[in-house]
Amino acid sequence: MSSDVLLSVKDISIFSEDRQCNIVDTISFDVMEGSIHSIIGPNGAGKSTIGYAIMGIYHPCSGKIFFEGENISDLTITERAKRGITLAWQTPARFDGLSVYDYIGVGVKDKNLIEQRVAEALEIVNLNPDIYLKRKVDANLSGGERKRIELASVIAMRPKLVILDEAEAGMDLIVLESFMDIFNKIKELRMTILIITHREDIGMVSDNSTLIWDGKVLANGSFRDIMVLYCQKAGLKKICSRTLFNQFDESVDKIIEEETRENKI
Amino acid sequence: MSERSDSSEILNSLEKYDLDISDYLPSHSGPKLVLNFNKITTVSEVEGIILKGREIENGIIADIVIKEGTVFEDPIHLCFGVNKETGLQEIFPRIIAEDNSSVTLQAHCSFPNAKNLTHKMFGHIYVGKNCKFVYNETHYHGEQNGATVAPVSYVYVGENSYFENNFFLTQGTIGRMKIQIDIYAFKDSRINSNVKAFGKNSLDSIHVRDAVFLEGENARSIIKMKAAAIGGGEVMMFGITEGNAANTTGHVDCTEIVKDRGSRCRAIPLIRATDESCHITHEASLGKVDSAQLNALMARGLDEDEATDLIIKNML
Repeated sequence: MSSDVLLSVKDISIFSEDRQCNIVDTISFDVMEGSIHSIIGPNGAGKSTIGYAIMGIYHPCSGKIFFEGENISDLTITERAKRGITLAWQTPARFDGLSVYDYIGVGVKDKNLIEQRVAEALEIVNLNPDIYLKRKVDANLSGGERKRIELASVIAMRPKLVILDEAEAGMDLIVLESFMDIFNKIKELRMTILIITHREDIGMVSDNSTLIWDGKVLANGSFRDIMVLYCQKAGLKKICSRTLFNQFDESVDKIIEEETRENKI
Repeated sequence: MSERSDSSEILNSLEKYDLDISDYLPSHSGPKLVLNFNKITTVSEVEGIILKGREIENGIIADIVIKEGTVFEDPIHLCFGVNKETGLQEIFPRIIAEDNSSVTLQAHCSFPNAKNLTHKMFGHIYVGKNCKFVYNETHYHGEQNGATVAPVSYVYVGENSYFENNFFLTQGTIGRMKIQIDIYAFKDSRINSNVKAFGKNSLDSIHVRDAVFLEGENARSIIKMKAAAIGGGEVMMFGITEGNAANTTGHVDCTEIVKDRGSRCRAIPLIRATDESCHITHEASLGKVDSAQLNALMARGLDEDEATDLIIKNML
């Protein structure tokens, strides 16, 4: 992991459409180049809104976003994508008639590499190219298949920064188990990853985390520290999900237990 | 120019549809009826399929009979083309699919040089019992908005039969087009009708009336109409489904994208039920491209116009 800051979010605030409240309020955090950074928080905390603001879909009413040192706050979605930012949607769009091949290949700049990149990307997300290249990105794909194709399209594009908005939602358990492999392969391809999630088993792959609560940054730090704080804030004595990473869960549980005993919580 | 090169030119003009024209060239052995303007240039029958053409003053009468029990894998090719820039072509197809038959008809209506050319069609299709009948009609009207095209078809679909209609006019310019297709569906029959059209400039005007009348019990239908109007083009889609018998089910789905100043899209779904056991529904969406689709493609680096064009191209 490099020590350079790739993305810097400075004091951004975003109003709701009726301007009655701030969805996110003076949020700041940095994402280091080559790292996996997670944004953690409960449903409705404003996590996805931050991802969309970085991509240029939502426009903050105040604050700035810097990418590789450049202020990109006023750039369009396309301009940000061309600078190397992309986003995998929590609920990816479906397209009548658009083939899986064309969708995954749409972000590949060098058109001579499309075929190779598409096949590689499908294999990374564990989809058989012989089956999926013939299909369309339409309503006939299951939710899990569509999510994996979304991930493949991001991998084929080779951006500098990938924003994964709850990429794990709707995935089957087998794919969840292979998520670590997928993240590692994305890292090997020199992409920086910003994960938006409320699942601790996904967030644990991250090098750094930001905890969002009611639209505000509660803390930036290591994932373990952030999870301890998250559990404290949520009033949890144990981490809820024990599906995949029990060892890690138990270590966090132990810290919570000790701190509870010492009346720190 | 020879008749063979005439028909090849007409077929070549359809290559924008990614069509493999080798399946339709005069040398291909399949059943076919090929016209150039108002002259019949090729008639080729195969066992179980009767093809007869008769030239009349401004066109032809085409009689096609698929005999009982005939199952034919390759499409029967009907090529209604005109190389001329001006003129009037009138086609009267009369098509009968006898019981237990299964065929696909591929009609190509290509007018690559049209400047002031009118094509009219008045067709009847009778589909017997237990049949599968697919009718594909692919149009190309050149690039000069010079065609006026008005096909009218009446289709009668017999008991327990499947009828599929696929009408495509998405390449080149449309000119003026007014289509009417009325499908009468009898007991236990299934109808699948798909129309795609693309108006590209202010001289393109397309009106489509696609109607299914569910006259027999348990008949089912779906009409899907997809269109785009850009650069001032006009598209009007009129999707009709009537449930006139017990337990009939029908749906009309209309999606139209409109882009650029002066472009117009209209959709009028008309649904009617005369039996309490019918279930007839409709769904229509008109306007700009879905923002979730646009954002997804722009986040991969396409600009808004490129993303819109890709979405329209693939939808159609």
